[in-house]
Amino acid sequence: MMDSPQISPFIIFFASIITSNMVLTNFLGMCSFISISNEFKTASGLGKAVTLVMIFTTVINFAVYKFIVVPLELEYLRYVVFIIVIAASVQIIELAMDRFLPELHIKLGIFLPLITVNCAILGISLFMVIRDYNFLQSLLFGAGSGLGWWLAISTLAAIREKTNKSKVPAGLVGPGLTFIIIGLMAMAFMGFSGIFTIQ
Amino acid sequence: MKKGYTYTIIFMAVVSIIFTGLLAGVNAAYKKKITKNEETAMKASILASVGINTDGVDVNGVFNDKATEEKLNEVTYYSIMMNSDKTVYAIPFEGAGLWGTIRGFVGVSTDYSSIVGLAFTDQNETPGLGGRIDEDWYKEQFRGASLETVIEYGNDSGLDAITGATSTSNAVLKILNGLMDTTLQELEEADEK
Amino acid sequence: MKNDLRTVFYRNLWRENPVIRQILGICSALAVTNRLENSLVMGLGLMFVTAFSSFTLSALRNLIPDRIRMIVQTLVIAAYVIIVDIFIKANMPEISTALGPYVGLIITNCIIMGRAEAFARKNTPVISFFDGLFAGIGYTIILLCIALIREILGFGTVFGFNVNFLNFTNWTIMVVPPGAFFMIAIIIWIASGITNRGLKKKESKKEGAI
Repeated sequence: MMDSPQISPFIIFFASIITSNMVLTNFLGMCSFISISNEFKTASGLGKAVTLVMIFTTVINFAVYKFIVVPLELEYLRYVVFIIVIAASVQIIELAMDRFLPELHIKLGIFLPLITVNCAILGISLFMVIRDYNFLQSLLFGAGSGLGWWLAISTLAAIREKTNKSKVPAGLVGPGLTFIIIGLMAMAFMGFSGIFTIQ
Repeated sequence: MKKGYTYTIIFMAVVSIIFTGLLAGVNAAYKKKITKNEETAMKASILASVGINTDGVDVNGVFNDKATEEKLNEVTYYSIMMNSDKTVYAIPFEGAGLWGTIRGFVGVSTDYSSIVGLAFTDQNETPGLGGRIDEDWYKEQFRGASLETVIEYGNDSGLDAITGATSTSNAVLKILNGLMDTTLQELEEADEK
Repeated sequence: MKNDLRTVFYRNLWRENPVIRQILGICSALAVTNRLENSLVMGLGLMFVTAFSSFTLSALRNLIPDRIRMIVQTLVIAAYVIIVDIFIKANMPEISTALGPYVGLIITNCIIMGRAEAFARKNTPVISFFDGLFAGIGYTIILLCIALIREILGFGTVFGFNVNFLNFTNWTIMVVPPGAFFMIAIIIWIASGITNRGLKKKESKKEGAI
């Protein structure tokens, strides 16, 4: 195993929220990003759920990878391992929420099953391994990416609430216009690039 | 379809065993080839860093022919015979990018005065943004850059940073400038002795 | 609903094309579309995985207990993805570096899961195989369209060959992520434009008949 990179975890945290937003620059988690961004409230709910699951699974996947997969030299099976951990974590979070935070469960419950197939969650775990992050870097990378995803989907939903009422060319109604909005958002976020200097 | 618990567990176990076995087989069959590919890719990067074209060439052959491994303290570098009277060094570098460690080789003339080329072996920057450091135009522009002074972007040096990827572009410069103060300095001093 | 080869073909390639109609599988699709070569490999990988996972899951459809259906689907898909990943690494090392983690992300590509849930569960293995294959082809075609335009405008090349005869300046916007979003918006626009026009024609014919 190679050494983890000499990057301050806090830079990773802020950079993954703003300059290299998971969905706007890495295109991860697009499916639900498009289909559940009609309404600000639901979008924000999904964002919260994704952030929660992302932090949770990053921690578990990190531990599983470090202490089980690597010692057994099963690196080639990591996709299976990660996806099963994610599916199981989602299930556990759902059960725990139902038991301890029933109100939150009613709000977020419907989103949880969707999250298993959210590419962003698996993406974080894969990036974490490829980039050899240490624990703190992984944790803040997961948290930052989750918050970044939440920020992006809430912003998109807020814009879409307005554009839903406007008149647009017939062929652009729905997904077409959404992609143009996302493109513009991605350009705006690119403007932040360079605000962090590497120490 | 409703089935009993025993059935469910047995089914899951059987499926898991079959697919894990299949994967283990495929992995074992290709493992050697993958390791070999990685070695070849490393050699190709070393050759590319001194400006030798590696497309459609027997990389291993050329490498064995021209390169010799040398060592100074902890650093393993390569001296490469360009032709009968000219030799250049390929020196490994490593440093933090925006997302992960950037590794590669920089080709340096034997008097340590200028860069002859640049190649990356390992980088995890954002595809389409920072990942563009691996594009030829970006690497080519370092060819001939002077190592006498600090390397900078701008009109004077003729070096361009990448649009939308300022952090990664700066990281590359930082790594190269850092290399000048450390490894290159050490090599130069060792040569003088 | 008829499920012969022709309907399956037409449905997956045009009427219900996964990318432009159902907006599925965008995740892994856009990131690799600034080069045709990468998109082609990605598309072929996806075709392989959808076809074989649909086939396998359809063959097992009467054996899989309902309770663990999702996890079995994920396992089968992940297994095929790993095979693709190992194969690309062994035979196309350069492309493997360019695709990075996106090959692994085929697992969460909603197209595969979608085909497995919507089609392979209810149909025989052979037709499911073709359904998966055509869905993969439908995805690949769109990917290639986007990649073609992005590569021409962004790098002035097609499959790495220089086609920039007019010597125009390369459009950086096409290489960076927003370019992909704009391209896919345009393609969706064109596709729904054609459908809308088709609908209008049908309507006016009906009116004429009356």
